[in-house]
Amino acid sequence: MATVSIDPLLQNPRLLSCPTPAAKVLLTISCSFTSSVNSRNRKQLLPRLVVSSCNFKSRRRIHAVRASSSSVDAALIETFESATDIFYKETFPVKRTEKLEGKIFIRLDQAKDQKNWELTVGCSLPGKWILHWGVSYIGDQGSEWDQPPKGMRPPGSVPIKDYAIETPLKKASKGSTFHEVKIDFNPSSAIAAIHFVLKDEETGAWYQHRGRDFKVALVDYLEDDGNMVGSKRGFGIWSGALGQLSSMILKSEESDSNGQDNSSECIPPKKDNRQLEGFYEEQHVTKEVAFGNLVSVAVRKCPETAKNILYIDTDVPGDVILHWGVCRDDAKIWEIPSGPQPPETTQFKNKALRTLLQAKVNGNGSQGIFTIDQEFVGFLFVVKLNDNTWLKFQGNDFYIPLSQFSSVQDQQDQTDNSRISEKTAEANGDPSPKVYTDGIISEIRNLVTGLSSEHGQKTKTKEAQESILQEIEKLAAEAYSIFRSSVPTFSEEAVLEAEKPITPAQICPGTGTGFEILCQGFNWESHKSGRWYKEIKDKAAEISSLGFTVIWLPPPTESVSPEGYMPKDLYNLNSRYGTIDELKELVGTLHKVGLKVLGDVVLNHRCAHYQNQNGVWNIFGGRLNWDDRAIVADDPHFQGRGNKSSGDNFHAAPNIDHSQDFVRKDIKEWLHWLRDEIGYDGWRLDFVRGFWGGYVKDYLDASKPYFAVGEFWDSLSYTYGEMDYNQDAHRQRIVDWLNATNGTAGAFDVTTKGILHAVLERCEYWRLSDPKGKPPGVVGWWPSRAVTFIENHDTGSTQGHWRFPREKEMQGYAYILTHPGTPAVFFDHLFSHYRSEIAALISLRNRNKIHCRSPVKIVKAERDVYAAIIDEKVAMKIGPGHFEPQNGPQKWAPAIEGRDYKAWEAC
Amino acid sequence: MGVSMIGSSQAQIRRTELGYRDFRFCFGKNDERNRILSRKTNHVCFVGQSNRWRNSRLQFAVKVMKAEPVLASKPSIRSKSLGSSRLFVGLPLDAVSDCNTINHARAISAGLKALKLLGVEGVEMPVWWGIVEKEVNGEYNWSGYLALAEMVQKVGLKLHVSLCFHGSKQPKIPLPNWVTQIGASQPDLFFTDRSGQRYKDCLSLAVDDLAILNGKTPIQVYQEFCEGFKSTFSSFLGSTITGISVGLGPDGELRYPSQSHHQQAKNSRITGVGEFQCYDRNMLNYLKQHAEATGNPLWGLGGPHDAPGYDQSPSSNNFFKDHGGSWETPYGEFFLSWYSSQLISHGNRLLSLASSTFSDTTASIYGKIPLMHFWNRTRSHPSELTAGFYNTINRDGYEAVVEMFARNSCKMILPGMDLSDEHQPHESLSSPESLIAQIRTGCRKHKVEVSGENLDSRAPGGYEQIRKNILGENLVDSITYQRMGAYFFSPEHFPSFTEFVRSLNQHELHPDDLPQEEEVTSQNLNLTADSSMHMQAA
Repeated sequence: MATVSIDPLLQNPRLLSCPTPAAKVLLTISCSFTSSVNSRNRKQLLPRLVVSSCNFKSRRRIHAVRASSSSVDAALIETFESATDIFYKETFPVKRTEKLEGKIFIRLDQAKDQKNWELTVGCSLPGKWILHWGVSYIGDQGSEWDQPPKGMRPPGSVPIKDYAIETPLKKASKGSTFHEVKIDFNPSSAIAAIHFVLKDEETGAWYQHRGRDFKVALVDYLEDDGNMVGSKRGFGIWSGALGQLSSMILKSEESDSNGQDNSSECIPPKKDNRQLEGFYEEQHVTKEVAFGNLVSVAVRKCPETAKNILYIDTDVPGDVILHWGVCRDDAKIWEIPSGPQPPETTQFKNKALRTLLQAKVNGNGSQGIFTIDQEFVGFLFVVKLNDNTWLKFQGNDFYIPLSQFSSVQDQQDQTDNSRISEKTAEANGDPSPKVYTDGIISEIRNLVTGLSSEHGQKTKTKEAQESILQEIEKLAAEAYSIFRSSVPTFSEEAVLEAEKPITPAQICPGTGTGFEILCQGFNWESHKSGRWYKEIKDKAAEISSLGFTVIWLPPPTESVSPEGYMPKDLYNLNSRYGTIDELKELVGTLHKVGLKVLGDVVLNHRCAHYQNQNGVWNIFGGRLNWDDRAIVADDPHFQGRGNKSSGDNFHAAPNIDHSQDFVRKDIKEWLHWLRDEIGYDGWRLDFVRGFWGGYVKDYLDASKPYFAVGEFWDSLSYTYGEMDYNQDAHRQRIVDWLNATNGTAGAFDVTTKGILHAVLERCEYWRLSDPKGKPPGVVGWWPSRAVTFIENHDTGSTQGHWRFPREKEMQGYAYILTHPGTPAVFFDHLFSHYRSEIAALISLRNRNKIHCRSPVKIVKAERDVYAAIIDEKVAMKIGPGHFEPQNGPQKWAPAIEGRDYKAWEAC
Repeated sequence: MGVSMIGSSQAQIRRTELGYRDFRFCFGKNDERNRILSRKTNHVCFVGQSNRWRNSRLQFAVKVMKAEPVLASKPSIRSKSLGSSRLFVGLPLDAVSDCNTINHARAISAGLKALKLLGVEGVEMPVWWGIVEKEVNGEYNWSGYLALAEMVQKVGLKLHVSLCFHGSKQPKIPLPNWVTQIGASQPDLFFTDRSGQRYKDCLSLAVDDLAILNGKTPIQVYQEFCEGFKSTFSSFLGSTITGISVGLGPDGELRYPSQSHHQQAKNSRITGVGEFQCYDRNMLNYLKQHAEATGNPLWGLGGPHDAPGYDQSPSSNNFFKDHGGSWETPYGEFFLSWYSSQLISHGNRLLSLASSTFSDTTASIYGKIPLMHFWNRTRSHPSELTAGFYNTINRDGYEAVVEMFARNSCKMILPGMDLSDEHQPHESLSSPESLIAQIRTGCRKHKVEVSGENLDSRAPGGYEQIRKNILGENLVDSITYQRMGAYFFSPEHFPSFTEFVRSLNQHELHPDDLPQEEEVTSQNLNLTADSSMHMQAA
């Protein structure tokens, strides 16, 4: 292979650091990184990849690389080095990500002894690759994997539960970036197929084949679900329905096959003699890799003109644009300097200049020189790469102070200082908050000379402070969540204080304790990272500390759509959000911080594994291998043989017939399993319009959740395009469903959301009082079962099917978080600029012990203002109009105020 | 470590300081693993061993070293004893459960780290008699507290231990079971009010010297407990444990349980005057003897008959009336002086016990007195009288108490530093500020150091009041902020606490903001010397 010949050059990535001719050649290649893959020149692909791997490794060796880059710089800024009047020099590390392209190859051939066969899986990208694999045996039903026989497992393999093996890929040869693993097997064993996915331990990404496992069939009569490798590809119904992992995109076009033509590549083993044929196949993969680069800045005073001359140098490959401005004072307000600009400079709006840095002669990055008038105290910039990525300094603009040391200084001092601050830069430059010792030393140095950039220091000290404060906040949040979770939701005192007999009923799945506040812990994009469970885990303490009691996690099952709402094998909980183990870990963490966890269960429909004899997808596989009797009869698409549906149909997938005893028994068992195995505390029930609420009751009685909420979403009433004032019919349908569940579940208060839309869009706050003076949504009729919300993954997020009026979300939250019902906050809002306001409202709710049954008295419902008093403890208003609560028996103190809303609490 | 570099580089500037500085660093390395050096506006800084820097993500900054000459010019240990305030935070009352495990260990561990990062000096750890010596007299189980002390030490915080010889209602921590059992058959072990109700969270001071606990007196039992503590925690004493307070009565305070300990009437924001607690058999005996000895045997038959009930106002009966009340009669003087002297003798017994037991350690001994500030704008100060402080418009009742503290070289814990007059209900005729001022005047006179404590972390304007109370003229030995728990770390509270801690620092480092010139440095010196508000250990 092409790689072999250049391998020796690449054994030591540090070669990059040496300005040897060999390295130079490589560097030139590295410059062409961003150029698109030239499919004609396939051999070039490999060197390119290899070079990137070198860079990749050097990420952790910033200093080592820096040394080299400064040595290259040396020549280029000769004038700077020799000048004694440099008063500022600093090197900033920057991080950027780059897409690396490479390939996965799969080779099946006969071992040397002619008896065994050998499957080789390799990958040309750097990384910590793990082959996650299993086999299926002849006669196995469904898509589950089994453990391969012991003899088949290569050394270093780790069994994962009872269905898979993880084997690390090893470097094919020393110094090579090719990683591979070989699996020997005996073709006469009963193995029908080998299944695998590749996992990159570094990024946690899973590399699949068309969104499924790779599957190497060893017998020819296996059904090709579209994920078979080395066989003729039937672009079945699945490939279109599958999304792609963001961290890794499997090219959907036909993969390159190497040397062999298509006909030999597919394995057409004869069924009778099980004749295997070898094949070799490649798949393109891409991986995003973070690179560390450096931006060095040096400033000196031009003795002749008294202007400051700023030199910028970077090793970021490709076109680098400096987006810059200057400022006159500490406020760091960007300004454009007058006067001649460097070549290749354009003005960006009225705010900044953009200068294309000049590529350095050796091709290793670019540089630029800027002359700045004395009157400016600072030079501000960010680095823009041509692919619209921006490089910043710890999330902020780079700031280079210009004025501090322009006063006359003793020549000797200056030399000392420049030397010291150079070291400073080295230490300070590392943005890692962990490397404080370096920072300390450098700051001491600066102190000693007392000459270094005061401004730079201030910023840094501030950053250090910030990170300490953040650490403190994190710790406090953790402490709070644990302390809080072990305090009963309402203490003895609270009950005494409440005295009125409204002490909430005991815990029931429709209401929880009655004091629940729900957090929807995902949005429509959450599946894209492939590690959502881990991401939420990191946020657990934070979410709990905000005052939430329940978190709703995304649907956990294997699904045809990446978001999880097209479930297939209900017992396969490895999804785009993470693996089952990660899920368990997450649930454990959430429990630890005192959150109850809702699983999003899709009971209405299920995607089939197999087609029936008519080619209709209606035969299920996996542990629940139902046949077409489990599918309702009234959807012609799926030719179900069950009874007619007890609700509305969802047309994209076979709707489950819950009237079948075996179906209900299986679902109950499954819910039990989810409770026991994963630790879910309750359910969010998807699309409950699709089946009778009585079945839900059955399921809830059996699984005894702590809390359950159903999604019964249909349209409100409109007349001539205008929403009707009276939405009783709409809320009646939801209440009917609640009744059918016997109150065992709550339901999302779609009515309230709809009315809030009209209220806020049209400034019609009168709508918020129904003819009887009660809230007009479900919350007005059956508050304890109303789960109020303003947005979810369908209505908002990137789908936006029914988006809440923009910029008015806080009015919506001011309403639902002060009112009875169980409020739910959408993830996107929580992690947005609304967060502190939402947190304040939650805290107000908790502080005043507003619960799902708190009485609400509407005080005002006029054109431009709505006001209510809840439980005589909290007063609130939304809308631009005026309202102040009357001080009567209670005295009101303002608690929270925001745009067009305000809340008071009784003092 | 960066430390040596600092030393040498600064030596060039101020050679004469070198000796001090070296001393200080040695101290820092050998003795205190992780100390706060200094603070700057909005800035928390630490120094410690280098391996710790990485773990706890600490940093100390440039400004520290600028302030350095100030510290170096004064031996560091002295500056502590000069009355610089140190901030402590109380651990949860139930930090150690009744089966000697640490409750919410993870939360406490996170909390300790947060406090350390904030620059808090240490924590206060209540050690309950009812947990350590729970089942059998003389059998101690310190394991939970040892583990907690280790946690605190590991984080690098100081520890102030409160030995609690009382019980607690919320959370429920009773007296030792064996004591409760004895008490069940001898109810007169407990304080008793006029109507015969017993206060069962604390033994009556009248039994101090009676051998009622399996042949031992309570004082002996307390002493053995203290000895046990001392030998068990000897490795912490003087290093991590810098203070020990010994429980003197209900809620650890030197007082009678005069305030209603039963469910208070709802919506009542006014605390009543409370009741005298002299009705257990032993108290009545002493009273009788005393009355006979003073020639008024009839006065020894019971307490004042015309005192109001717990929740009543002073004027609702004759005893406390502003004008013509019985308190101003010879009988009133007789009773009140006896009642208060009993309390002071009890305090003296316990404090002398503690100070002799711990005399060979460097830990300071503290006792706590209550702040009975309700009704102190009346002439008779009824809340103070029922609690055992004979302090009226005519008489300074704290003088004798403070003198007793001074005699035992104990420091005084004074709660209510967060209470301001303006936030008291007008009708309660209360003035916490003037009461604190009175007590502190006495303390200054007798050179008893005061350690402040807050009463209510939700008190409006509390932080401002604390600041007022510990800055300026008012030297305090330390401040203990009560108390760690869910509310303490909640989003409603913790940010304001952070703000408070930082505001204390701000004060101290104000001079730091001045231009950094040599002559200014000497100015700094004076300022810092005057400044009472050192948060630092150095």
